[in-house]
Amino acid sequence: MHSDTTGSWTPVALSADLPAGTVMPVQIPAGSLALWRTDSGHTAASADRCPHRGMRLSHGFVRGEALSCIYHGWSYAQAGNCLRIPAHPGLVPPETIRVVTHMVEEADGVIWVALGRPEGRPPGLEGLVPLRSLTALANIDAIAAAAGGKTSPQGIVEVASGTGTICLLLSRQDEDRTLIHVLLKGITDQAARIAAVRSTESLRRKAEDIHKKEFAQ
Amino acid sequence: MIDEWYPVGLFSQLDPAGRQTALMGEPITVGRDAEGNTRVTGGNGRTLPVRLRYGHVWSSLGEPKKELFAIPEADQPGRRFVDVGVVRVRCSPLRAVENFLDVAHFPFVHTDILGAEPHTEVQNYKVEIREDVDEVWATQVKFYQPQAAKSASGGITTEYMYRVPAPTCSVLYKTCPPRPSEWDVITLFVQPLAEDLCDVWPWMALFDDTTSLTDLIHFQQTIFLQDRSILENQIPCLLPLDPGMEIPTRADLTSVAYRRWLKRHNYTYGAQLVAQ
Repeated sequence: MHSDTTGSWTPVALSADLPAGTVMPVQIPAGSLALWRTDSGHTAASADRCPHRGMRLSHGFVRGEALSCIYHGWSYAQAGNCLRIPAHPGLVPPETIRVVTHMVEEADGVIWVALGRPEGRPPGLEGLVPLRSLTALANIDAIAAAAGGKTSPQGIVEVASGTGTICLLLSRQDEDRTLIHVLLKGITDQAARIAAVRSTESLRRKAEDIHKKEFAQ
Repeated sequence: MIDEWYPVGLFSQLDPAGRQTALMGEPITVGRDAEGNTRVTGGNGRTLPVRLRYGHVWSSLGEPKKELFAIPEADQPGRRFVDVGVVRVRCSPLRAVENFLDVAHFPFVHTDILGAEPHTEVQNYKVEIREDVDEVWATQVKFYQPQAAKSASGGITTEYMYRVPAPTCSVLYKTCPPRPSEWDVITLFVQPLAEDLCDVWPWMALFDDTTSLTDLIHFQQTIFLQDRSILENQIPCLLPLDPGMEIPTRADLTSVAYRRWLKRHNYTYGAQLVAQ
């Protein structure tokens, strides 16, 4: 989480996990969003609910530069306005039909979604190489405790691994759940990358145990 | 809604030992007594009313003021009656019915079976609440279908009529490919287990002497499982009766009439009255 007075940025996914022309569900504390990438590569995030009949847009499909609902094919632009209602091909959808959208920024292999209207940009992560994301049934404090460290203002927990460092970029999903993006610094060869995955997974188990004992209600 | 009739199981699969199920949150048992009579028992052991009709056992937690709705085609010679079985869906029983009344989703949910792009247009059709019988009716619903039924070969423009004779039941009349002068009948009988959980019991009365029973059942199961992937992912789970919550278009006039009819009768089990 990277906050200023008007909002904050939360890292919701790694760029590599969202190929062009796809959509995926991501969680923010306020609920689920549909995160999608147009065929030409632009990322966008909208409320995960089609206003027509309430279907989750993250189950939908991307064609060209639009996201379509899987139920009736209503399609939406990145700005959230409805472009097309297939049941009425001749109709220009009124401006009032739209989905709520969130600002998205993508840098250094990480996709960030704005909560509110942050003035700045998300923090740079130069020199860090994204590896994978995983969800822990633990809050951020439990993960920091399991790592024996503290979180940086960017929400990064650092763990030494061999000659390099595993950087855990954390995103709060709800009270008991955190999304962990694993980024590597100075770890390049295959064996060391696999070792980093293993140690992250055991850190997750440890964090979940701590969470169960100390934080769960 | 408590005084309405609901399907609670297949007559052909009555278990003498009694099958445990539920109706509107109350555990019930559906079975046979020593004389072979069908018995439905409520949570506190009270005997509930029973009807055996359209392949199913029907019951009610209350005191039905009306007889179970009629389907005249169920007595028509030459039809094949198909018990399709059950699909459990984690959704409001009213959402399940509303989805059944909708044709606009065919190209996207039942792709290359009941619909296909670019044939997505829903032409104007007629909807009314028939006051004499107190049922919702939609007629002259036409839609292009690549494979309208197991007995259809190639694409045809199919005509549909829909009836809603009870809050969780719908009867569909559909162009019958082998017999153009008749209608195939496909019904959706929904057993409300809870406000957000239901057992869907489709049943059919068809003119089709060639397709095997297995293939007929597989065809319907495929369709209903495709619908389930939608029904379990709508937000909110309950059917919103607050008009501000969702945006209907002309293609949704059946759903609009269905919601209005539900509201008028206070049929609100499985409905959300005020947007949250």
